[in-house]
Amino acid sequence: MTNAPQVDRSSADTVRAEYAELVREAATGERSAMERLLMRVQEVAYRFSLLVCGHQEDAEDVMQDALLKTYQHVGKISDPSAFRTWLYTTVRNACLMKRRRRVGEPSHFEPIEGGGGLEGTGRRAMDVPDMASPPDDRLMDGWIDRRLRTALQALPPAYRIVLVLREIDGLSTREVATVTGVSEANVKQRLHRARVMLRRQLEIP
Amino acid sequence: MTDSTRPECVPVLASISAYLDGELPGTECVRIEAHCVGCESCATLVEGLRATLGLCRGVASLPLPAPVRERAQASVQKLLDDALGSPKVRG
Repeated sequence: MTNAPQVDRSSADTVRAEYAELVREAATGERSAMERLLMRVQEVAYRFSLLVCGHQEDAEDVMQDALLKTYQHVGKISDPSAFRTWLYTTVRNACLMKRRRRVGEPSHFEPIEGGGGLEGTGRRAMDVPDMASPPDDRLMDGWIDRRLRTALQALPPAYRIVLVLREIDGLSTREVATVTGVSEANVKQRLHRARVMLRRQLEIP
Repeated sequence: MTDSTRPECVPVLASISAYLDGELPGTECVRIEAHCVGCESCATLVEGLRATLGLCRGVASLPLPAPVRERAQASVQKLLDDALGSPKVRG
């Protein structure tokens, strides 16, 4: 047992201050500052979208969306310290839009060629299994531990988003409440359940 | 929490997340730690949650995968070139 609290929130304060400084510099119109901010924004958007929604193609679209919206927004910011919650809210909304579109999609696509049968096998072209990992999966495996990504995807979305914002991106409870639109008490409750579920999914004793 | 949870574990289980987040006063931390010394189940849960959170913590500092990063950089350059004009090449 350790005697001290286990979570270092001082680094979260540092990150928040870094964002505010980056926004102040970018708002002056200085190109290199703008480049740094826009790269940071895309990193956030890509990681969040991939971990919360789980689709690499969508993550790149969400990244582009965040890039454009930030560029349009940065000159209008009156409170740089509020930028971070604005960014995550923007990214969350873009992810939700993507998810709504996916819900309307068929779960698989029939080949447009007529018939689609594989001669002599009795199978259709779409049934052919591909045992190799898709290139996207290989790319992701080299980035974030597949075990963690799979475990996160097994959580209910409302719990997953809270866990990603708080534990991975380091937002405060209040910031998570602002981004997700639920009360701080509700954030804490979901976070606790999400932690317990994630531990179970990861089969950590 | 399950039906087999011991009554003395209930308040500890309710406070574990706050404990891990450093939101409890020192006296409460001492109470939880003293309980965990004699309760293997709660001690295992605390350590397991701490290990789980440890896995999450490093992810935010990972740079984007190289191909994605290259596309992101190209998008930034194109946006800024279109909006501000290409940076002048110094001879």
